[in-house]
Amino acid sequence: MTNQNISNDEFKEIHSLMGMLQNLDVGLVVLDREYNIQLWNNFMESHSGMNPYEVRNQNLFSVFPEINQVWFTHKAECVFQLNTRAFTTWEQRPYLFKFKNYRPITGSAEFMYQNTTIIPLDSATGQVERIGIIVYDVTDVAVNKLELKAINSKFKQLSRVDKLTGLYNRGYWEECLISEFKRAKRTEQPCSLVMFDIDHFKTVNDKYGHPAGDVAIKFVSDALVNTIRETDIAGRYGGEEFAAILINSTAEQAAVFAERLREYVEQSILEYQGIKFNFTISLGVAEVASGTQSHNEWLDTTDHALYYAKEHGRNQVHIATKQKN
Amino acid sequence: MNKHIVSITEDQRDCYQEIANVAMGQAAALLAKLLEVKVILPIPVVNLIEVNELRMALSGIENSDKVSGVCQGFIGNKISGEALLIFNDASLSDIAKLLKYSNELDTSLDLELLMDVANILIGACLRGIGSQLDVNFSQGHPVVLGQHVNLSELISTNNYRWSKTLAIEINYKIEGYDINCDLLLLFAEDAIEVLNNKVNYLLED
Repeated sequence: MTNQNISNDEFKEIHSLMGMLQNLDVGLVVLDREYNIQLWNNFMESHSGMNPYEVRNQNLFSVFPEINQVWFTHKAECVFQLNTRAFTTWEQRPYLFKFKNYRPITGSAEFMYQNTTIIPLDSATGQVERIGIIVYDVTDVAVNKLELKAINSKFKQLSRVDKLTGLYNRGYWEECLISEFKRAKRTEQPCSLVMFDIDHFKTVNDKYGHPAGDVAIKFVSDALVNTIRETDIAGRYGGEEFAAILINSTAEQAAVFAERLREYVEQSILEYQGIKFNFTISLGVAEVASGTQSHNEWLDTTDHALYYAKEHGRNQVHIATKQKN
Repeated sequence: MNKHIVSITEDQRDCYQEIANVAMGQAAALLAKLLEVKVILPIPVVNLIEVNELRMALSGIENSDKVSGVCQGFIGNKISGEALLIFNDASLSDIAKLLKYSNELDTSLDLELLMDVANILIGACLRGIGSQLDVNFSQGHPVVLGQHVNLSELISTNNYRWSKTLAIEINYKIEGYDINCDLLLLFAEDAIEVLNNKVNYLLED
């Protein structure tokens, strides 16, 4: 059928169909095999500021240099070659076309997040000669999801951290201990555990008051954070009890760390409401041995070393004797 | 109103399996063409399960493994359902090799891989099934279920709307590569009767 033969009714039908496509609040683009733009609907015109006559037969990548050509052609070639649809989500790339947010005043996103569908066209012969791109504005969904994710990760962080000291709380620290124990067993790298507590903490509380006790705890945890390496994992194990997992450290190396911490605390003088006071800590150290069966056993061994240090005069470091294989 | 109990007969199950076989083969052929590899074809597993047993339908994936997955809804001729594609994270570096992505494997690249394979497998499988049942499926936009999580975290939603689902599990493997991915086609409870009628028609021939 040639153009001349199109009846008045058919013309009207095509006209209304085009009107629908033009006004659809979704971006429609048709590209030929060389990625030249063949169709450009009203949505695309409004958001890009370029009318269909300007972009017709222009190469997509020269009109929109911000489109990552390698990435887009990777997706589009699948459609051309395999005659299947391809979908891209805002999670892969926030947008294909960099358009402004539809709500420039109250919207929090700077640009329009987009999902796109790439569909094969003209495939009657089995050969895909053109592809269609459908661009959906998903800004609201994307913003909500991103905000939710940010809040969740904040909650996650909060649930892991002890409020007073900022160290990991016992629950999360133990989770770390379990995974580090497994890793040490698997990689056969040395890994040591240091546990310590404040000597005569009850006396500190009784003599100077509980707020002074809090100051002492905060002081020790700060000292701990400043002494460990970034990869080590420190936690508040109990009231005045602390623990640190020293990755890639032998018991001897861990003891050097422990001794440094002990000395630092011993030499420091704290002040609370004009009253000066000082205190000491006792520390136990144990390395994962080949015979260590579980993280609990490792914890127990370290705790015993700490107990030994307490029993033998406090203000000292005790290394657990290595278990036989 | 008494709730109609949905079921499938052995014959119907065999028929679904055969339909899935053909569709899966077409999808695998496309994948093989794109990646220039040999895709090992498994036997699809067809099961009518409770939705809360979804975990059991994913027999190709261990619970302890870290996985990533996407989900895509589809509907056509009153047949609705979802396609789930789940990857073992251990497969990702090999897939990156196959898809000729040279960048280092970061989170967004993982997602690219997942989406590329999902586009091919889900699209081709649905087209294959659709052409055999004479249904033209519309596909919703794929949704990322989760990345680098446990299987139970991935499919943890428990306010399922329908209680039974017809699940077709296809476990794809690629020869010479450590790639393990599970494609699960889930049909909604109210779609099963429509599907049963369709396959009965095929079984009569």
